[in-house]
Amino acid sequence: MTRYRIADDVAWVSHEDLDNGGTPTAYVTRLPQGPPTTLEGPACVVWLALAEGGSPAEITAAAAQMWGAEPADIDEDVLSLVEELVRLDLVTTA
Amino acid sequence: MTQQASAATGQMPIGARVHLAHAVVQKLADDRGIDLLHLKGPAVLPGLRAGNRQSSDVDVLVRPSHLHKLVDALESVGWEQRTDFATGSVFAHAANWWHDGWGWVDVHVSWPGVTIDAERAFDVLSRDAVLHPIAHRPCPVPCRTAQRLVLVLHAARSGGLGDVEAAWTSADPAEQAEVRRLTAELGAEVALAAGIGELELHRGAPTYALWHHFLHGGSRLDEWRARLTAATGTRAKAGLLTSALRVNRDHLRMELGHPPTRQEVRARQVRRLRRAVGELSRRWERR
Repeated sequence: MTRYRIADDVAWVSHEDLDNGGTPTAYVTRLPQGPPTTLEGPACVVWLALAEGGSPAEITAAAAQMWGAEPADIDEDVLSLVEELVRLDLVTTA
Repeated sequence: MTQQASAATGQMPIGARVHLAHAVVQKLADDRGIDLLHLKGPAVLPGLRAGNRQSSDVDVLVRPSHLHKLVDALESVGWEQRTDFATGSVFAHAANWWHDGWGWVDVHVSWPGVTIDAERAFDVLSRDAVLHPIAHRPCPVPCRTAQRLVLVLHAARSGGLGDVEAAWTSADPAEQAEVRRLTAELGAEVALAAGIGELELHRGAPTYALWHHFLHGGSRLDEWRARLTAATGTRAKAGLLTSALRVNRDHLRMELGHPPTRQEVRARQVRRLRRAVGELSRRWERR
């Protein structure tokens, strides 16, 4: 089964005091060239779910727990966002 | 759930940008074998700084013999040098680079107040360095004792002693003794004394007047008199006088937002001359 994790050459920061207007936000970049990418709201939740790596089901479960949703209601969107992050070389398959 | 990933550099808070920029600089250092230490801002270890103040730039201390490699690395990814080491500060210890995406990097080759050879000082400050995560990347930072000293020296230099409470006053006697031992090794006794309220114990020291000026202020004339006293050797004093008579083009460029024209430099020289005349007149009146 495919497992995903944050790519080795990525730096990121997400603190409550850096959130954009109270919306959970993660700021992510590839090193050293960038560019930085801002992940807000649900995208930030998925990023945080990805931080420890895992299978699509594990990432979906972690995101659902943070988001307060049922995994079955969000699994397709989570996977599509993860795939977009893979396309941006921010996430890699383990 | 909608996808909300955007390349939104302009919307990024300064604090986030600074965290990521530290990581960018460390990646450059890792790739090119450059020894450096991250200082201040997100590099400060927990408990050493009061409150939640954010830095607006990245501060690094580079091994002096690796400076050329760091400059090449920074400029390879788009940083542009805006001040040089001769004009960047009183101590000629730092220069600044600007990047449109990542902002300012202040590159230090020594730290104000440290008087031993800069290469040796880097060895001492990095001896017990620890890896501290910044933007989830391991970045070398000075150990807790060295960080206490760096923060106190910076506070004394910048005239704001807010960091002294967390870095020094709240340290227990054993920790303070460790800082004093490190201070002696680095020849930074006068600067530390300035930061912790003991400067008057060093009235005879050549750098006393300079640190007194940083703490209590005074005119530009007072500052230069203090710098002349602190400079060791005739050549150093002559160098200071030469640079005193020269308009700092780097700072003027930052102030104007564009490279200064010859006319603008000349206008600034006239303004400085008028200020000097004013200071002399005030002294004459006080006699």
